[in-house]
Amino acid sequence: MELLVCIKQVPDDSVAVRLKPGAQEPDLEGITPVVNPFDTYALEMAVRLKEAAGGSVTVLTAGPEAAKDGVKNCLSVGADQGFLVAGAELAPGDTLGNGRLLAAAIQKLQAEGRAFDVILCGREATDRASGQTGPQLAEILGIPVICDGVELTATEPGLLVKQETEDGYRLLEAPVPCLITVNKPAYDPRYPTIKSKLAARKAAVPVIEAETLSGTAPGPQLRQLGLREPVRRRTGVKLQEESCADAAAKALAMMVQAKAL
Amino acid sequence: MDWSNRKDILVFLEQKEGQPIRSGLESLTAAKMLAGKTGGKVIGLLIGQDNGQAAAVSAPFAAQVLSAQGAAFSSGANDAFVLALEQAVQQTNPAAVLAGNTPLGREVTARLCARLETAGIQDVIALSLEGDMPRWTVPLYGGTILQEVESERLPLVATLRSGCFVKPLAGSPGEITAFPVEVSAGDFSVKVRETVREIAQQADLESAQVIVAGGRGMGSAENFALVEQLAQVLGGVVGATRPAIEAGWVSRDHQVGQSGKIVAPALYIACGVSGAAQHLSGMTGSGYVVAINQDEEAPIFDVADVGIVGDAVQVIPAMIAEIQARREG
Repeated sequence: MELLVCIKQVPDDSVAVRLKPGAQEPDLEGITPVVNPFDTYALEMAVRLKEAAGGSVTVLTAGPEAAKDGVKNCLSVGADQGFLVAGAELAPGDTLGNGRLLAAAIQKLQAEGRAFDVILCGREATDRASGQTGPQLAEILGIPVICDGVELTATEPGLLVKQETEDGYRLLEAPVPCLITVNKPAYDPRYPTIKSKLAARKAAVPVIEAETLSGTAPGPQLRQLGLREPVRRRTGVKLQEESCADAAAKALAMMVQAKAL
Repeated sequence: MDWSNRKDILVFLEQKEGQPIRSGLESLTAAKMLAGKTGGKVIGLLIGQDNGQAAAVSAPFAAQVLSAQGAAFSSGANDAFVLALEQAVQQTNPAAVLAGNTPLGREVTARLCARLETAGIQDVIALSLEGDMPRWTVPLYGGTILQEVESERLPLVATLRSGCFVKPLAGSPGEITAFPVEVSAGDFSVKVRETVREIAQQADLESAQVIVAGGRGMGSAENFALVEQLAQVLGGVVGATRPAIEAGWVSRDHQVGQSGKIVAPALYIACGVSGAAQHLSGMTGSGYVVAINQDEEAPIFDVADVGIVGDAVQVIPAMIAEIQARREG
């Protein structure tokens, strides 16, 4: 199976993002950019599918030169090749514009001989969490989409998808080509080895210049009126008592006083 | 704002077991606010195989309820749902299209936006009509930053987070009209093979007034039972972090956090929870937070009104004993 995984770099979501003091901007300084966790699940799923059914895994991302790092991280955990789409000036949150850009790059790669059976995206990116890119990319490409896949099995001639639902799962079948958005499966993505990391560091990531692509155009945008932080909880009292009974008694007294109980 | 010739507000009312889901009904409140601005009416849209019951429940909250009913609209047949929504938009020419911020709501609105060339606004937590245009507040970075946006492109398309809008007031029931959609199950290449329910009764975290949550620090399934016990004593709902769920101590419908449910109970007790950002983003809206953790540096204490530094396995029984003593005394 020829598999394509679309990835996005996001700020490490284990770090709380705050506003720059006195500014209408998020303070991302010092927060490591990482491959969107849901995209890493998509990649792991693609690599496992390749290992089971044969084929190759290609990674695609749009962004600045630094986005190559994300691609290389993917190369170190099973992706065979990666491409960067550079030079597009898209507003953050312009999912249709981004979708068209990715679609045009995909079509260019396909014209050069790659025929992707399955395109995988994380269900959402942890920075904006709008979850629109996957379904919209499918609409733009004119291919079927199944969201929240957690297990993929190649069938002849299509794909069997286990879709996680709120209270269980669904089994769906799609023909190829199709697009799957991925939710966290039962397993964690693999770690790179020292050898695979070194190899990835040396690997080339070909650049596709946005201006060479046709069919791209910015999408309609939301206008940002402002950013603010939600009211922060004030840190309360920390009890360090000798006995649990004392701690419990004190805590409950406070809860009762605060009318929380 | 120039609404052109668009006035009405279309609300996709997702159903579960024949009932409209909470966030769909809540969206009718936001729809009423918008309709007040546009001078139009609120139209609910039901899509399913048997909409009768849901239509009757929804009618008191909308001026009109469109019922797209047919065999093609089985649970999971999202292509058919998107088509029905698209056709309803063509028919009603709405100023705005709203849905609950659920996986289905997000998918159908995202795909609708691609078809209509409009910008979707996902996971709205507040709506303001003070300006010329509606202003929507959405969370970024897991909710540590809130963004206010507006859109000029019509129709506005938005999904609304559960619990952020009140349920609407009932009025005289709107007219229920059949909305025929030319579609059959064979039209689409994606086929639903099987739907399996693994969780019989989902934890209702979003309406809970009291939540007692357990994390990795509980240590074992046996110890996690203490969390369940405390929840029962307080009449609350059991919550959990991802590690507790991945350890198999509790089912995933109990997950609180960015990948689980966003909750806002009056009382939240976090037991053996470290306070990772992805979990905090799910519960910082709680009224009063109590945290129990052995690690005094655990980030959960930054958001707790009262923190107990100690082993939850020891502290929970002491709390239960104290609660029972107070009740008897």
